[in-house]
Amino acid sequence: MREGIVIGLAVVGLAFSLSGVVGILRMPDVYSRIQCSSKTITMGALPVLIALVVAEGPVSPYGSRALLVAVLLLVLNPVASHALARAAYKAGVPMWAGAVTDEVAEQVAAKQVAARQVAPGQAAPGQADPGGQAPQ
Amino acid sequence: MANVCLAVAIAEVAIAALLLVRLAAGPTVSDRIVALNTMSTQATLAVLFFAAFAGRTIYLDVALWLASFSYLGAIVWSRYLERGLL
Repeated sequence: MREGIVIGLAVVGLAFSLSGVVGILRMPDVYSRIQCSSKTITMGALPVLIALVVAEGPVSPYGSRALLVAVLLLVLNPVASHALARAAYKAGVPMWAGAVTDEVAEQVAAKQVAARQVAPGQAAPGQADPGGQAPQ
Repeated sequence: MANVCLAVAIAEVAIAALLLVRLAAGPTVSDRIVALNTMSTQATLAVLFFAAFAGRTIYLDVALWLASFSYLGAIVWSRYLERGLL
């Protein structure tokens, strides 16, 4: 019974790991590959670690270490993936030609437009403010 | 149960070996870092299961160390990608 659960969890985890690795090999650009990498960790590594906990028991040396490793992977790997995606975008790694939207570029463009509209308007109140505040 | 542990360890290493293709062929540095990051995770699991197979608790420290610090490689590389060498 227990061995059946262990084998089932291990097979699920290994199948997700394999599909994530195939995704890393086949996806067209870096950002999609980072997504597949994160999927490998959450759905691929965690069931395998839970399988070890079930096999050895949570209080045994192996099971407790597996739980610790699961917590560390859950906390640290999204940080690494996020930093990597940000760095790749800032380094100018191109997106896939079929990508639908780039929201960061849209936001940056909107900020630039807003700055251009505010800048001439700010010059006049900036000069008028000292005069306006002096009587108060 | 020991056979299951050994099988999982070998399967993780085999899956990680597939990533060598992306590590060699990745068009940009970021692709290679993604492949390395995933490989380090698979290596952590492989070491953990090999420890359970061999019955040696000393190997567990290797797995814990890998899980704690392997992400630093990705962080440092992405810092250099983002801001240049200095």
